[in-house]
Amino acid sequence: MINKILEHAKAQIAEAGSLKELDELRVSFLGKKGELTALLKGLGKLTKEERPKMGEAINQAKLNVQSLLSNRKTELETIELEKRISEEKIDVSLPGRNFEMGGLHPITITLNRIQALFAKNGFEVEVGPEIEDDFHNFSALNIPEHHPARAMHDTFYFDEHTVLRTHTSPVQIRTMQKQKPPLRIIAPGRVYRCDSDVTHTPMFHQVEGLVVDREANFAQLKGLLIDFLRAYFEKDDLKVRFRPSYFPFTEPSAEADIECVICGGDGCRVCKKTGWLEVLGCGVVHPNVLTAVDVDAEKYNGFAFGMGVERLSMLRYGVDDLRLFFENDIRFLKQFN
Amino acid sequence: MNISTSWLREWANPNVSDELLAESLTMAGLEVDAISAIAPPFKDIVVGRVVDCEKHPNADKLNLCQVDIGDSNNLQIVCGAKNVRKGLKVVVAKVGAKLPNGLTIKKTKLRGLESCGMICSESELAISDESNGIAELPDDSLIGQDIRQCLDLDDNIIELDITPNRGDCFSVMGIAREVCANYNIALDTPSFDSVTPTKDKVKRAIVIDSEACPRYLTRTIKGIDNSVPTPQWMVNKLIRSGQQTHSPVVDITNFVLLELGQPMHAFDLANIKGDVQVRLANPGEKIELLNEQTVELKSNTLLIADDDGALGIAGVMGGMRSATQSETDEVLLESAYFDLISIAGKAREYGLHTESSLRFERGVDFNITHTAMERATQLVIDICGGQAGKINESVDKNTLPNIKPIAITKDKINTVLGFELDSKWIEEKFVNLDFKIKSNNNDSWTVVPPSFRFDIRIAADLIEELARLYGYDKIPVQRLTIDSDINSNSESLVSKYDISHSLVNRGYQEAITYSFISEQYQDLISPGVDKIILSNPISSDMSVMRSSLWGGLLQCVETNQRRGHSNARFFEVGLCFDGVKDSQQSEKIAGIISGKRHPDQWSETTRDVDFFDIKSDVESMLSFTGKDFTFEQGEHSALQKGQTAKILLNKKQVGWVGTLSPFVQNKLSLSKCFLFEVDLKSIQKGDIAKYQKLSPYQVSNRDIAVIVDSTVVANDIISSIKEIKQDFLIDVGIFDVYVGENIGSGKKSVAINLSYQSLNDTLTDEQVNNQVNDVLEMLKSKYQAIQR
Repeated sequence: MINKILEHAKAQIAEAGSLKELDELRVSFLGKKGELTALLKGLGKLTKEERPKMGEAINQAKLNVQSLLSNRKTELETIELEKRISEEKIDVSLPGRNFEMGGLHPITITLNRIQALFAKNGFEVEVGPEIEDDFHNFSALNIPEHHPARAMHDTFYFDEHTVLRTHTSPVQIRTMQKQKPPLRIIAPGRVYRCDSDVTHTPMFHQVEGLVVDREANFAQLKGLLIDFLRAYFEKDDLKVRFRPSYFPFTEPSAEADIECVICGGDGCRVCKKTGWLEVLGCGVVHPNVLTAVDVDAEKYNGFAFGMGVERLSMLRYGVDDLRLFFENDIRFLKQFN
Repeated sequence: MNISTSWLREWANPNVSDELLAESLTMAGLEVDAISAIAPPFKDIVVGRVVDCEKHPNADKLNLCQVDIGDSNNLQIVCGAKNVRKGLKVVVAKVGAKLPNGLTIKKTKLRGLESCGMICSESELAISDESNGIAELPDDSLIGQDIRQCLDLDDNIIELDITPNRGDCFSVMGIAREVCANYNIALDTPSFDSVTPTKDKVKRAIVIDSEACPRYLTRTIKGIDNSVPTPQWMVNKLIRSGQQTHSPVVDITNFVLLELGQPMHAFDLANIKGDVQVRLANPGEKIELLNEQTVELKSNTLLIADDDGALGIAGVMGGMRSATQSETDEVLLESAYFDLISIAGKAREYGLHTESSLRFERGVDFNITHTAMERATQLVIDICGGQAGKINESVDKNTLPNIKPIAITKDKINTVLGFELDSKWIEEKFVNLDFKIKSNNNDSWTVVPPSFRFDIRIAADLIEELARLYGYDKIPVQRLTIDSDINSNSESLVSKYDISHSLVNRGYQEAITYSFISEQYQDLISPGVDKIILSNPISSDMSVMRSSLWGGLLQCVETNQRRGHSNARFFEVGLCFDGVKDSQQSEKIAGIISGKRHPDQWSETTRDVDFFDIKSDVESMLSFTGKDFTFEQGEHSALQKGQTAKILLNKKQVGWVGTLSPFVQNKLSLSKCFLFEVDLKSIQKGDIAKYQKLSPYQVSNRDIAVIVDSTVVANDIISSIKEIKQDFLIDVGIFDVYVGENIGSGKKSVAINLSYQSLNDTLTDEQVNNQVNDVLEMLKSKYQAIQR
């Protein structure tokens, strides 16, 4: 009898196609009115000797049926989940829900990189006003009135003594006026020259650097700038050369050229066939500059450097038209995101 | 300055190629911008003489020439040029010669007659762009001589970019001195004889302002012929240096200027009335200059004048009245030393940048004045004939530059350069540079720079000279030792980088716009504000310093919309200007949005951006500080009334946010825009995080809805609730605002969510209800709020 029920249960459970059917089967075998439950109820009719044996057999059968039910349940659940999964298939190649990211301007990106590289060498960032007086922009930097270098600067004027700063060098002066050496600063910012053509915009960016210390010499200046340029262009063997030049506020003065990063030094349009690109000006701080801000030129030495940010950015990213930086065309700006 | 290497080599001839010579100049601080050959490389082209020339029997336009090129036989050449004629010295390309245009000359037959070469024009040699038939060589050209020698074509032009400190390098002699110092060779000064002067009475010259003109030399030369041609060798030198040629006398003064660096002037003596004077201009005085321009002179301008007035602006340009002509037969030569300061800026003031002013304002050797006068005299007499009078010199030794000795020690050199130079080497270089060593004592020297070096006045200048002769490239490198001062920026500072990035993360693209904008934009955005105007703007579009970043950002959106990009989210960080003082220049951050909230996409329906989009961007940017910013209805001429908020921190306004005024929008033909602008400083100082204990007890939330006048603003309700400082209130927010018929016109319903929690126990309903009642009571008394 039990075996027959068990056989029956096995067959029916195996055929159950849904959880609902399975539950009905559970009721029909194990429920209050179920077949096995009925057998248990019938135990009373058996003899004392027969009872335990039969009871155990029924209980065993119940356990078997339960296990069959539970196995089948797992099977059915799996089938159901798999069905759902296949129904829920999506095209994962469709783009994600789009909330566009913005980005920083390439000049800001370049400035941030320059600042980060110098920060590693202990340089602090200083800033100054863009409308300057002629003392900070010129006189204190050893550019007296009528000096030919003033004419070189194509200055924007508000009045005779008030100008748009033509370089970030006045920040050198402002910093030395408020802080005592030793100093190690860089000054990034906008500068202005009254000049506008294919290769000049009336506004552009510079980063000025200044070190004032008891020991600050030309050899260190060279070392620092070579390290910087190689780090900036991420090229360990980048060729860098220093040539004598002239800035009223440094003596000795130098300009630094790097091997052309466009043609690798073979000569191209960008380097005007010379294989070299001028990237920055530098030098040992002129004693007159230190004196103008009451730093003892006998005790302290300094060196300074200045670089054009647009130029470095153009060379780094291969931008071939300076004016793009200030047109703010979204197609241009997005290329740096 | 342009200089021909063959001219330079007459003065200094190191045994290196022109290319290496140019390279060494660059590395010594005289930057070579370009080096270009006078003529392309060709050979087998020589001087010939047309010994016979007749019409070609078979062609009207051709000539049959017999040309002597110094060989035993004459060459028969068929030539089509109109100007070919018997006796002419010409340029002959022999058989086998290859012309710059690629043509190789072969023996050929032209209309039946043999032609063994070609008579060339200058353009065929690529030494001139013009072509007026074949080149006509001077009669004294040597037959058979290679044309490269004859015309001195093995020459390069070096274009130098000379820095303002090196006025001494604006001459062949000056550059030659540099070459000599570099290569450690001696200068070949061409020799010339001084002329013996006549006994004529000299023309008087009176220097009134000797501060401005410490030395003034004049000399008369009478009986000259200024109509003769300038010799070819001089023409070549002048043209290759970028000068035009004029009459011989003018060419000679230009030649001396190029050769020795001394600007000179030749006056037509016949047109000078009375004495020559060197004086400052009188008020209202005018002069017609050599360039035919008449200028009114400023009173600080130094003049050369005579009894009839100005003859020229000293050191800048001569006047028309005393200009030499081809018929001029007596001249007054001037060679002067004008003080730098008296000439500086004059060329700029009058817009007259001349070769002369260029040199005087940088400094001309005050000891070359005589040599230059003698050199010019000799050339005038050689070329134009005539007799020279005595040199009339006016000099004030007290006003001539006083060159002081400069003391320098080896220690100082080492300190500045960071490495040690050899003492012997140092001394040798001083000598190479014409520096006089006055004393030499235990690695400490006193030296006197030469009179042509206006840039050498202090020890640092000497150090630069040594460094550049040593070679900047050879100076060893050192590393900075790390300065271990730990930078102590407060944690409370919010960096510009963080602030910018909060906007970048919300889809903003950073723009950089010009700090000067057009008056139109300034007037639209900030009418009534004092304009800070450039006195020399590039254009009227860029003439006013911005007082707000909005002008640039609006332009930026306008540009991009014009190019078909209607969705815009831009921000900019930069200085804005309320005045020219340092304190009136402050950094702001501003943003603009326009178009759709999201780009069109498959997964979402998009919508236009609105006020609350930009406000949430602003709020997220402000959240860095941890401070409580509030927004209050305001009015701004660039923003739409009713959709404008002031941004406040501690009751002080720090910015604006709002919808672009439709008036401005229409004027600029823009789509709807939303803008914000905040003083950067106000959001760069934040609070340092402070831990608050977490409560383990339940939060009790209560929603209330009240009907208030529609004029009551949401923010006031929230802040009033916060102001009563309830013990357990942890959060308050508005979750709905409703306007409709059933609450009456002019009213609105505001639904508020209040959250209460205690750190010590679970709040009872009674406790919470009491607090909510207090809120309702307050709202009732303050806003006449009625609970719904």
